[in-house]
Amino acid sequence: MKLTRRDFTAGIVAGILAPHIISSARAQGATLKIGMCAPVTGPAAESGGYAVKGAKLALDAVNKAGGVMGKQLELIVEDDQTTNPGIVLAFSKLAANPDIVGFLGSIRSTQVHAMAPDVLKLGKPVMIGGTDPNLTHMGNQWLFRCRPNDSYSGRVIAEFGVNTLGKKKWAVLHSTDAFGTAGGKALTEALTKLGSAPTLDQGYANQSQDFTPVVLAIKQSGADILGSYFTFENDLGIFGRQLRQLGVNIPWVGSPSITNITALKLAGPALYGTYGVADYAEDSSDGSKAFGKIYRDAVKVAPDNQSSWTFDAINVLSGAIKTANSTDPGKIREAILATKKFPGAEGEYNFDQNGDGLHGYNVVKNDKGNIVFDKHIEFND
Amino acid sequence: MMDIVLQLLFTGIGIGAVYALVALGFVLIFRATNVVNFAQGEFSMVAAYLMVVFSVDLGWPYWLSFLLALGGMALLGVIFNLGVYYPLRHRTFLPVIIATIGASILMANSVLAIYGPQPQVLQGWFDTPGLQLGPVYLDSQYLLIIAVTIALVIFNYWFFERTMLGKKLQATSQDKEMASLLGISVSTMIMITFIYSAVLGGLAGILVAPVLFVSIQMGSTIALKAFAATIIGGFGDVAGAIIGGLALGVIETFGAAYISVPYKDGFAFLVLIFFLVFRPQGIFGERVAEKA
Repeated sequence: MKLTRRDFTAGIVAGILAPHIISSARAQGATLKIGMCAPVTGPAAESGGYAVKGAKLALDAVNKAGGVMGKQLELIVEDDQTTNPGIVLAFSKLAANPDIVGFLGSIRSTQVHAMAPDVLKLGKPVMIGGTDPNLTHMGNQWLFRCRPNDSYSGRVIAEFGVNTLGKKKWAVLHSTDAFGTAGGKALTEALTKLGSAPTLDQGYANQSQDFTPVVLAIKQSGADILGSYFTFENDLGIFGRQLRQLGVNIPWVGSPSITNITALKLAGPALYGTYGVADYAEDSSDGSKAFGKIYRDAVKVAPDNQSSWTFDAINVLSGAIKTANSTDPGKIREAILATKKFPGAEGEYNFDQNGDGLHGYNVVKNDKGNIVFDKHIEFND
Repeated sequence: MMDIVLQLLFTGIGIGAVYALVALGFVLIFRATNVVNFAQGEFSMVAAYLMVVFSVDLGWPYWLSFLLALGGMALLGVIFNLGVYYPLRHRTFLPVIIATIGASILMANSVLAIYGPQPQVLQGWFDTPGLQLGPVYLDSQYLLIIAVTIALVIFNYWFFERTMLGKKLQATSQDKEMASLLGISVSTMIMITFIYSAVLGGLAGILVAPVLFVSIQMGSTIALKAFAATIIGGFGDVAGAIIGGLALGVIETFGAAYISVPYKDGFAFLVLIFFLVFRPQGIFGERVAEKA
């Protein structure tokens, strides 16, 4: 056979490229990849850093114990920019990688809603932290929640405020995004069932610069207790300061953001004495304490729910892959749903058929800047 | 009822004064160069971060940190003029506007890369957080903002109307060619304008940072409202920028209190659309008629 110049050139190119392709293929198969959408930039970038740290701590522990199915886990992070278009882009980049077997989505419900259609299209398990109850009740079988949803947070806030603190005249304040709207609605419904329908139900837009009208509305309503759902700690900090400056000192029971490290730093003494429902409370269980120790040893600061849910998400997902002994999405899904009595940092996971793993909340108190565990309220319905 | 109105009025004027300071920066640069500087909001952000660096990280006295931060903004104004406007000064307005947008993105991401995404707390000038005057609470930082704005309005009037340098700046902004023919160094006047605008924007950022916290996004949030205020007041009019800013702050505060809190930001832009439709020259602007 006559060797043409074209054949010779093709042979040289193949010879140069082949080792790269082979080593690349070998590298792709060497690890089990998990994709993570996290805010590296944008208003929630600080908490995004904590989320990635929590996931990596779990990853390292799993890998140290031998990995999953004989392979080490690898985390691939894409920046979601704390925006809805950002997370759609981030998830699409990750989804384009066929080697990724599972994903961690956002703690922000509005962002999970934005990415949900692509999750459904892709058909692989996505662990989420968003607490809008609708996320696991809208027919998307690939979303698995590693935090208790707001139907529980609303019920716990109402239960604690009415039956423990004995307050009946409620002002409910919530952001107007998916998280705040769903949370506010859940709280209002729970209060109504307890015979304490709110005297004020007030929404606000995220990234507000001033909350004077809101504070004055709360003052005018005659409320003796405030329940809140804040998405961003910046807003919570500004509101908290203005609330105290304008002389409103009623008890305040808020959604988990009121206990976040960022909120404590920004609002300072304005949050002393407030209560929060916290999915993560370090002293609430053995699993929570164990995570707290691991996190403090590695990161040298106290953990919060930004890192605890991602820590649990990696453990639940990797545990499910191990149980299924397969990377087939359907088998992983079945294994996640079969996960019962799993002791996580957030609490004991008992996944229901909707994909919700947790069904209760801790109540914590801000004791002069220290978050202390008060009580746990669980629902078994 | 009256105490609520007074409280809202105070807050509205306070936040409006911040918009007015940033709007003044827009107007000064527009008058000198015929270009809208979309990085004006980032001047506020950079100055606030400079205050954090000097007063919080390095622990220097507040007054010294303040002067150094303003000095840094003056330097930024020089760099901005030389790097963004001067190379494009003979081009049409569009490339310059795009360059200012690029500079805005560059500044925001540079601060992000150097300082990180964490929002920061900056203490106010006074130890006392506020004064209770009857039923009305006067935040000391807002009091300072209003006082500084009044002082700047007086200073602006004196500077532009009573000093030779101010008159030269006005002459340059009205007709650069004629000013040049009269022996005025146009490039020097434009440089001074950028320095002054950067310092104004920085001053706004330093004053508002104790209230809104220091974050990468703080500049763009204020700038958008300030831009609307500039149009409402009359683009290119100094008094219009001040009145527009104050009016915007009051409108959105009262709109939030008596109509709808979630749509607070919408009121500002509803007013803007109203003016663009019915009075595009703004409150103080002169209608410019073009020959057919």
